[in-house]
Amino acid sequence: MSNVLTVRGLKKSYGAHAALAGIDFEVRAGEVFALIGPNGAGKTTTLRIAATLLTSTAGEITFLDRDLRKEPDFVREKISYLPEEAGAYKDMKGMDYLRFMAGFYGRDAGEEKEFVERAAAITELGNRLKTKVGTYSKGMTRKLLLARALMTRPVLAILDEPTSGLDVLNALDVREIIRRYVKEGTSVLLSSHNMLEIEFLSDRVGLIDKGRILDTGTPDELKAKHAAKNLEEVFRSSLR
Amino acid sequence: MKRFKNLLQKEVKELVTKQLVISLAFTVLLFNAIGQISKKEVQKAVGIQTISVLDQDGSEGSRALLKGLESARFKIVDQTGKGKDEALASAKAGESKLLLVVPAGFGDSLAELKPSEIETYSFMRSFSLIGARGQVVVQSVISALNETLSNDFLAAKLPGADPVSLKRPIKSRDFVVVRDRTAEGSAGLIAGMLSQQSMLIPIVLMMIVIYSSQMVISAVAMEKQNKTLETLLTVPIKRTSIITAKMFAAGLVGLISAGVYMFAFKGFIGGMGEEVAAAGARASGTALMQKLGLTFDTTGYLILGLSLFLAILVALAMAMILGVLAEDFRSAQNMIMPLMFMVMIPYFISLFADIDTLSLPVKILILAIPFSHPFLVSQNIYLGHYGMIAAGLGYMLLVFIVLVIYAARIFSTDKILTMKLRFGKKKAPAA
Repeated sequence: MSNVLTVRGLKKSYGAHAALAGIDFEVRAGEVFALIGPNGAGKTTTLRIAATLLTSTAGEITFLDRDLRKEPDFVREKISYLPEEAGAYKDMKGMDYLRFMAGFYGRDAGEEKEFVERAAAITELGNRLKTKVGTYSKGMTRKLLLARALMTRPVLAILDEPTSGLDVLNALDVREIIRRYVKEGTSVLLSSHNMLEIEFLSDRVGLIDKGRILDTGTPDELKAKHAAKNLEEVFRSSLR
Repeated sequence: MKRFKNLLQKEVKELVTKQLVISLAFTVLLFNAIGQISKKEVQKAVGIQTISVLDQDGSEGSRALLKGLESARFKIVDQTGKGKDEALASAKAGESKLLLVVPAGFGDSLAELKPSEIETYSFMRSFSLIGARGQVVVQSVISALNETLSNDFLAAKLPGADPVSLKRPIKSRDFVVVRDRTAEGSAGLIAGMLSQQSMLIPIVLMMIVIYSSQMVISAVAMEKQNKTLETLLTVPIKRTSIITAKMFAAGLVGLISAGVYMFAFKGFIGGMGEEVAAAGARASGTALMQKLGLTFDTTGYLILGLSLFLAILVALAMAMILGVLAEDFRSAQNMIMPLMFMVMIPYFISLFADIDTLSLPVKILILAIPFSHPFLVSQNIYLGHYGMIAAGLGYMLLVFIVLVIYAARIFSTDKILTMKLRFGKKKAPAA
């Protein structure tokens, strides 16, 4: 399986604080790779670098074998990023927001329409898409944003805590949507605190703490290696 | 281009809100209404005014005074036969703006060429300048009478001599020299008219700078507050296009808003009435300025326009950087202050001082502020200081380029997410 994203010795510092102390991992085509770790471990920084928002201090990061630092415009054409605390323009109607975002990706009006229709189907918001985003619940907004991230069928979807703050039912919907799109060819790099979610969604997992990757593997491999029942125990074991 | 257009449309739609349209329409209506009310008041003030007169003298001299007042368009309510207190009470109760008391012996004193006194009681029912106009006119009538009486006296005492020449043996003819042109007239009048004309430049500049900058700062700060900035920065559009779209939209909407406000302001000022201004003096002043070549031709207007345009671009670029520093919409409101000061400093200095005569450090400081140059442009055009104009325009262009490059750098690096001007607690960087 070829790599969509390859990260080698990636470092990032904010002044004296080292957010990433040299990490290595790769996201393979058609897989969900999850970074799990506590607050401040370096998950969001890694995702932001992969999304071309931040630049690394040292190390190498390639997307489809191209240097991400040198060709950010190429990368932005083919990825989508859903930040943890993302919002949408509150005064826009849901449908207008999707049209606005599709306007950046579609080659022509026909393709833009196709993206918007796909996104509308993902949201399952129906007529509510005709109302302003400011009136949406957190779950509705998150679905709208996820639909925006997946509507172009990106090569790589970078999702930071995709179900953060959602109730059980909305979180289940979001996970199912992600799984469906992976089957259709999109690779996913995501981060989460929720170990159950990671087990359900991920093909492979990277355990991250204090800016370092502690271990990498499939959930089953990691559980066997650490003689653990679940990923929470794996994480505790790897910290020791 | 398609992506730029997509973003520009969104920016303009975001700025042109119902609130903005309503507030602009309301301002136009309000200023026009105030202008109309002021116009009516001015017309009333310059129309026939009622004054009361208590003539306790009844002499030829007092009658001449009253005749003079009647010819100055005063409606006179005669209080003759009443005591002073009674006349005061009666005048106060009526419409009279003023009670004029001509004491007994006024005519005799005049005849004997002794100083004569009259008393005026102005009823201040409001404190507006227009309200006090009645007394000013009475004083001018009295000074005209004084002139006539003293002329008569001199003519009687020194027959054959010209009383006017006797009172003012030295006469001056005033000339104004500007560059290679000389014309007869008052330098004070020219200075007054120029300052009146150049008043418009700072007002226009202030309004456009404040509106456009506020919009740019808010546009960036709102992206941060609504958590949409990170998403926008990862979509396939060049960072310079994001900056340009935001600046262009804010500049356009700011320009239109300022234009509407100026239109409303013109309605307000227009309502104040031509009558108040000394129309005659202005006509002679305009003729004098034309003789001295102190008028703008097409090139002059183009240079002034270019100067204002560059100042707006500088303001927009500065606002873009300040917007990045703002954490949310609320802090964006405070970010406009440094820009406002930078426009106000040269404005106030140009009101009270001549920049050329300031000390060198202050002069350098003023010239270092890009917004000073549009204030100096008209003066420099009149005086033919084209080198100074070119240097000013070049300086503003340079500042704009440097600021845009810096803004583009901020938008292309981590700074767009990490650069903040905090007034409170520091947050740890994202993990």
